[in-house]
Amino acid sequence: MITSLLASAVPMSGLLAALPVAAVNWHSVLFLLFAAVACACAVAVVLADNVVRMAFYLVLSLAATAGLFFLAGAEFVGAMQLMIYVGGTLVLLVFGVMLTAQAPFVAIKTSTGDRVLAGMVGAALLAVLLQAAFRVEPWRRPAMAAVAAPAATPIGMALLGVRVDEPVAGAPPAAVRSGYLLPFEIVSVHLLVVLVGAAYLARAKRRRTPRAIDVAASSVGPVVTAREAARSSASALASGGQR
Amino acid sequence: MNQTMNLGSLITGSLNDTLAVSLPLFRTELCLAATIVLVLLCRMLPLLRRLDAGLVALGGVCFALWFAWNDMRGIPVGGLQDGSAGGAAIVRQELFGGLLVFDSLTAYIRLLLMGFLAVYIPFTKASGIPDHEDGADFYTLVLGATLGMCLMASANHLLMVFMAVEMASVPSYALAGLLKGRKASSEAALKYAVYGAGAAGIMLYGISLLAGLLGTCHLPSMAAELSRVVDAGSASGNVMVLALGGLMVAVGLAFKLSAVPFHFWCPDVFEGAAAEIGGFLSVASKAAAVALLLRICFGLGVPTTGHGAVAAIGANLAELGSTRHFIVAVVGLMAAVTCTLGNLAAYGQTNMKRLLAYSTIAHAGYLMMAVAAAVAMVGIDPAGSRDAVSAVAFYLGTYLFMNLGAFAIVALLRNRLRSEEIDSYAGLVRSSPGIVIATGVVLVSLIGLPPLAGFVAKFLVFSSLVQAITAGAERPLMLVLLVVGGFNTVISLFYYLRVLKVMTFDPPPADRPGGEFSLVSLPGAIVTALVVPVVVLGIFWSGLYACAQLAGAFAS
Repeated sequence: MITSLLASAVPMSGLLAALPVAAVNWHSVLFLLFAAVACACAVAVVLADNVVRMAFYLVLSLAATAGLFFLAGAEFVGAMQLMIYVGGTLVLLVFGVMLTAQAPFVAIKTSTGDRVLAGMVGAALLAVLLQAAFRVEPWRRPAMAAVAAPAATPIGMALLGVRVDEPVAGAPPAAVRSGYLLPFEIVSVHLLVVLVGAAYLARAKRRRTPRAIDVAASSVGPVVTAREAARSSASALASGGQR
Repeated sequence: MNQTMNLGSLITGSLNDTLAVSLPLFRTELCLAATIVLVLLCRMLPLLRRLDAGLVALGGVCFALWFAWNDMRGIPVGGLQDGSAGGAAIVRQELFGGLLVFDSLTAYIRLLLMGFLAVYIPFTKASGIPDHEDGADFYTLVLGATLGMCLMASANHLLMVFMAVEMASVPSYALAGLLKGRKASSEAALKYAVYGAGAAGIMLYGISLLAGLLGTCHLPSMAAELSRVVDAGSASGNVMVLALGGLMVAVGLAFKLSAVPFHFWCPDVFEGAAAEIGGFLSVASKAAAVALLLRICFGLGVPTTGHGAVAAIGANLAELGSTRHFIVAVVGLMAAVTCTLGNLAAYGQTNMKRLLAYSTIAHAGYLMMAVAAAVAMVGIDPAGSRDAVSAVAFYLGTYLFMNLGAFAIVALLRNRLRSEEIDSYAGLVRSSPGIVIATGVVLVSLIGLPPLAGFVAKFLVFSSLVQAITAGAERPLMLVLLVVGGFNTVISLFYYLRVLKVMTFDPPPADRPGGEFSLVSLPGAIVTALVVPVVVLGIFWSGLYACAQLAGAFAS
């Protein structure tokens, strides 16, 4: 069940290899272990009331998912999962939650109505997705293929714009197969822009020109410059709540 | 040994493709990226720090506009005028190994976005919302988001689709929170970010379903695979999964389009963020989202032929008929609901920005109607399909002036009146008749009354619906859309005109701050520059329509 969902989430042929078929072997045991940890911790994230615990369960759930990727022979995806998600959530846990969580925000209480509603929506979505995942024939078939070569080299080459991996059987032929140099490069521009945005929002700004909130609102009149006017009118519009 | 030779030829092929073909057609985006870096560098050097970030950004945008204009001019016009199939004149060039595509739609939307920036940056300078200290951050975010929008218009691969949507969205979240310290602004940013993250997650899941089933993310190859999978029969259960994946992708698109039922963020974000941000989101973001909708609908519903495409692997037009039927049904129904709900919800609004937000939602509905008509007519009436795409392109062109004009008026009046409530505009005609006339022109054009640009745009959209009905393409749905569209135009009359009524007939409040708003000033000049095209395009619309027709040629 989990594998089908994962196969739909990350379309890598290697993942299909993870389904257990024959007698119990260590592969299956590990698979069941990781799957159980991933699911149980995911449920625990939702049910927990304490933010720090939620983050901790999230780390466990994501780490178990990385284990599933390793089992499926997608070691590159597994490593990325560990580095980005597990590492990222850990940083979030340490800095974001532990440093900022103060008494009123540590515990998050959900009302019963919300829980019921969320449960219904979640169950409906799960039912639809499970049905979808099991409907596709190739995703249902248990298969235990040998994982050929380390997957990281072709992925690395693809990120440099050259596809050296063999085309998937049945995939349509193409003159130039798309490498991922453009996304790889353009995302750096994106990250730069997003960093600037995050820094802007996070910065406690010490303004050289005092903001119009701080000066008296009496500087209204045709003589004010557009900039001052915009600033002060923006603050005048605030529906309270400037701290 | 064979392996090494292969590697060498692979590298040469990829190098040739990148340097000789792709990068020259990608220079507009490169120019934007360079401008972003320049804006940030200028802030690091002590001498250049005095330089205004807006000026640097405007300079870079002018270069980008020049490149975009040249790309547009480079597209041959012939083959369309004489009404022939026009196949020979269609430029279609896949870039970066099929990740992006350059064709007339790319060129048109890119030109539109660059033109938008060239107007938008002076407008923000005049309205004063990013002051000198915030300027570098603001323009970096705006240019970064526009870069993503350019990619949205040219995406040819689901990986790029997702990436472009994120590149356009994430800076917008930060822009919504530009007015730090204002509760409404922070709330808007948070709400936008949470909604956006949810929509992006669902879209990604849909993409993974589609990619997992079709074995590729390249849109033309997906169309080829689709025709095979769907043809194999619905009994295999694959079709249900494909439909689910398609709907999930539609969620992501609907979020960008602010289409019902994924529009909830729109009024709150527009109300909380500054009017300048509202103008950016409602014009540029919408144009890119509509272009992306066209890309995905035509990419999946129409087999691609022409240079650089995967040599039509068994996909033919008829086999994709059911895919198109599905797309038309989803887009058409969403368009009808979006349009009606947007217009009805606009009634009760007392805040001008909220009213414009619902107006934006309604206009997304009109645009989606034309998209539905364009997809419906593929294979039945190719010329009609091209006309429908031209109608969309023309609509976007006029919408730039109408809606940016409306938001400019809101922003500049806010600087005088300290308010964005409709009631605070009462009796404005007595002190500042010029701005009231400008507002009147913009709002009447948004309704779609002659002789203004909005009328021509709306007329083209409705005529493409009529064309679809006469051609017999999805006739019942198109009839419904036509009726809904006409009905909505009538009901939109009232809430737009109510604003004008308040401005002219209601007595002005006694304690109104600020003086008169003259059109002979820098802000006034910006408003004039935005409003005059609305009038001019209503009368001399053939120039823009010729460009729009060129853009429509992509749907061949």
